[in-house]
Amino acid sequence: MKASINWLKEFVEFSLTPQEIAETLTMSGLEVEGMEETENDTLLEVNVPPNRPDCLSINGLAREISAVLGLTLKQSRISVSESETVERPAVEIKDPGLCMRYSARIIRGVRIAPAPQRISQRLELHGIRAKNNVVDITNYVLLEMGHPLHAFDLDKLSGGRIVVKQAGSTDKFLSLDNDEKTLSSETLLIWDKEKPVAIAGVMGGLDTEVAGDTVNILLESACFNPVSVRRTSKRLNLSTESSYRFERGADIEGLIKALDRAAHLIAEIAGGKISALADNYPAPFKPVQIPFKFSKINAVLGIDINPQIAEELLTRLGFKIKREGDRHTVVPPCYRQDIRRDIDVIEEIARLYGYDKIPASLPSIRIQSELPAMRNLLRTVTESLRRSGYSEAINFSFLNPSALDKLMLSPEDARRNLIKIKNPLKNEDEALRTTLIPALLENVRLNLSRGEKSLRLFELSKVFLHSGQKLPAEPLRLSAVYLKGADSLSLWQGKHDGFYDLKGALEGLFAELRIEDYSFASEGFREPYLHPGKSCVVRACKIDIGTIGALHPAAAQAFDISGEIYLLELDAEKLLLNIPAGVTYRPLPKYPYVERDMAIVVSTEIKSADVSAAILNAEPDMIESVSLFDIYTGAHIPGGKKSLAFAIRYRAGDRTFTDSEVDLMHTKIIKQLADSFSAELRS
Amino acid sequence: MIEDILSIKDLAREEIKKAKDSKTVQAVRVKFLGKKGILTGKLKSLSSIPNEHRPEYGRVLNEVKTEIEAILKKQEEFFKSAELQNSLKANRIDVTVPGYCIPCGHRHPTSRVLDEIVDVFLSLGFRIEEGPEVELDYYNFEALNMPKDHPARDMQDTFYINEDVVLRTHTSPVQVHVMKKNRPPLRVIAPGKVYRCDADVSHTPMFQQIEGFMVDSHITMSDLKGVLEVFIHQIFGPKTPVRFRPSFFPFTEPSAEIDIGCVICGGTGCRVCKNTGWIEILGAGMINPRVFEMVGYDPEAYTGFAFGMGIERITMLKYGIDDIRLFFENDKRFLEQF
Repeated sequence: MKASINWLKEFVEFSLTPQEIAETLTMSGLEVEGMEETENDTLLEVNVPPNRPDCLSINGLAREISAVLGLTLKQSRISVSESETVERPAVEIKDPGLCMRYSARIIRGVRIAPAPQRISQRLELHGIRAKNNVVDITNYVLLEMGHPLHAFDLDKLSGGRIVVKQAGSTDKFLSLDNDEKTLSSETLLIWDKEKPVAIAGVMGGLDTEVAGDTVNILLESACFNPVSVRRTSKRLNLSTESSYRFERGADIEGLIKALDRAAHLIAEIAGGKISALADNYPAPFKPVQIPFKFSKINAVLGIDINPQIAEELLTRLGFKIKREGDRHTVVPPCYRQDIRRDIDVIEEIARLYGYDKIPASLPSIRIQSELPAMRNLLRTVTESLRRSGYSEAINFSFLNPSALDKLMLSPEDARRNLIKIKNPLKNEDEALRTTLIPALLENVRLNLSRGEKSLRLFELSKVFLHSGQKLPAEPLRLSAVYLKGADSLSLWQGKHDGFYDLKGALEGLFAELRIEDYSFASEGFREPYLHPGKSCVVRACKIDIGTIGALHPAAAQAFDISGEIYLLELDAEKLLLNIPAGVTYRPLPKYPYVERDMAIVVSTEIKSADVSAAILNAEPDMIESVSLFDIYTGAHIPGGKKSLAFAIRYRAGDRTFTDSEVDLMHTKIIKQLADSFSAELRS
Repeated sequence: MIEDILSIKDLAREEIKKAKDSKTVQAVRVKFLGKKGILTGKLKSLSSIPNEHRPEYGRVLNEVKTEIEAILKKQEEFFKSAELQNSLKANRIDVTVPGYCIPCGHRHPTSRVLDEIVDVFLSLGFRIEEGPEVELDYYNFEALNMPKDHPARDMQDTFYINEDVVLRTHTSPVQVHVMKKNRPPLRVIAPGKVYRCDADVSHTPMFQQIEGFMVDSHITMSDLKGVLEVFIHQIFGPKTPVRFRPSFFPFTEPSAEIDIGCVICGGTGCRVCKNTGWIEILGAGMINPRVFEMVGYDPEAYTGFAFGMGIERITMLKYGIDDIRLFFENDKRFLEQF
């Protein structure tokens, strides 16, 4: 709401500077969001909250200023000189639930012309286009008094009468903006004898518009049901100065004043004779009576306001306080329909008293705090990945469904079962994510386009899956992407596949979480967007928790990215489900170990983890650890074969092994490996 | 015979002197003192010396042996030390080559700030709760005193899944979930992602909020001020000016917005604070009795406060970031600054 300081001063005499007035309004709950200097005036941009329609006018704001500063509000004297011929508009309200009051006057013999500058300039200043004297005056009074008015060309109203009723079977209406509106049967309309002439509280009709040839007018000042006006405005996607005020609640008791103010101005400026008043008011307004305990003020605010001061503040706001013995009743003015119960009254007192006068205290509390296990674990996950070189990414939860095609997911893939947004900002953002992978690939694309050569990102976010319930399931996913490229590590890196970098980060995470029972299995594994030879399922504590692998070249092409890219996606809840409870100390070994190396030649198909496991299982009580320290193919190794070298550490709990004991075990293992893997000792 | 031994000594001394490295010294040692060495041979043949000469002969022999050993040792040490020096000289590395280290990744700036905020409230005895991001209209609006067709809904542009299901527009519905499940006293914070149909330099369709609330029998607005002042002073520094001004939220009453002295200009006025010297960072208030009624609490028995803030906004102020969209691009050059 824009408000001119000069105009405000017509209602309340204040000596504060525009800055000080802005500060005063802001600190009483009407935030001044901007100020605009004009030639000899200052325009305030006031953010009026939805519960304060009474402040959507110059008079309303002036009233507020007078209350806050304790000044007198200048009430303009409004008088109408009615013509001698007894004429009164005929008004009928068919649905008093939707139109609570309808008042009108007829003015005959107006001369349509441009409005005087003092009117039209103020309108322009406050963002309303000037049209002609009659229309401008209705808008001027709207700004001044806050009540929407509408003027009809009386001679175009068939039968010269007004009926207020719903649209029913009428579904088209040509409104003032020269646009044919489609109506619903509930839309409340203003009718003449035979046709609709306005959408109640929203916009008038083009046919009955006040234009250059208009001589007689019917001036409407009514009060419509806020919900009805809001629904109509939302449905038509049409918000007007009028609908904005009606949907927040108009001042049903003040509307005659607005009508008379406008009628008076019209007669004065455009000429014409004013008829008698028609006022159809089926159920007159009853002010709300709020039982009030002054002690509650302090119980809510934590201050000690003297009841006399509280009473004075309320009086300044136009509230009445009735006393019956010890019991008090507060009656708010009719334009304050936001005040319904005692808490609303307390807020008013606090507002005027000043929030700054409320002291700061700390509540006494019972101790109960703890970081929930889950959040602690998530911090551990984040820190572990961070130490492995991965930075945390946060992407929007939206998904472009075409990304799933780029991932080459099959039509049956559960990740295609999307939850869609009815009103997305862009069509590309119409679904909620079922996987975090597309966003990470998009991050790769962006970073590549900005000249980055390597990238390590992870994201911990929810995905959204159909659950069969009203609300989707929102499981947490942990995803990571590794773009292998020249960076500070290149200096030291060998020629290994980048898969092992990402896998290493994951193994580091397992170690951090003390998950020892995990494995990587590629048998029968297939994820459409991963390279079939460089991908696998990740298992922890015997359950599949996700996938890891190199990006499939076809998917890379679809996402318009190139380079060595590796991806990881895990079900974070499954990952964190089986975290061992705590650490138990194991006594240090008493006897030394004996370490022997073993280099064997096996087919390249053989998985090193299977060989390690076989070695360990050959003498589970005697072997402390098996570590793979070399993989070799090339000279001296036949084609289709590879050499694996393991360091095997033997240790007994009760004695030092002799060489001959270890020789015996070592020989046995070699034989077993020959049987199960056709392994040969490398010569 | 004694002369023989003395000449052996001279010979040994001569050869040791001529040795060029520790290897030749070792050869001299073998030649004289080895198993088949000259001096060793003499010692072995001691028994063949007539009795009357034997003690004298033996004494000289031992003296010579000790003397040769001493010279040998000295010479050996000399060469070893020299050779070590040489090998150290030959074995140099370029200490200016960068070390082998996996560079640490970076925490997202909003997560960093969120952690700080969470830690402050944990230290004040709050616990953490979470709620769904896809939420029933009932929890997001109605239970928070925003019935359908209420103009207050215009304050938040909403993404709809269907008529009854929305992407939550704030973290406040967590209040309702927690209050429905638990009885007071409650002290809870609820961080999470929220969504609004809006996109420009200062708005993204998804952002993060943290909600906090406290419910008990004697909670006052004064407590709200106290708790938020502690929070603001921990996050923005103990000298940060704070002001509370009246505002409107359907689910709190009285409602307040909390401003801090502009962290960019220090309160003198700049573009960020629109020349007011103040920046709004929080919405708060006393929980509206209507909300208590919705969750089945007696509004006469309990009072409580609630507050909510945008994590991105606070992060922007803390680090001087001027475009909210940077948070969701995941540009490496941006992330690596935190």
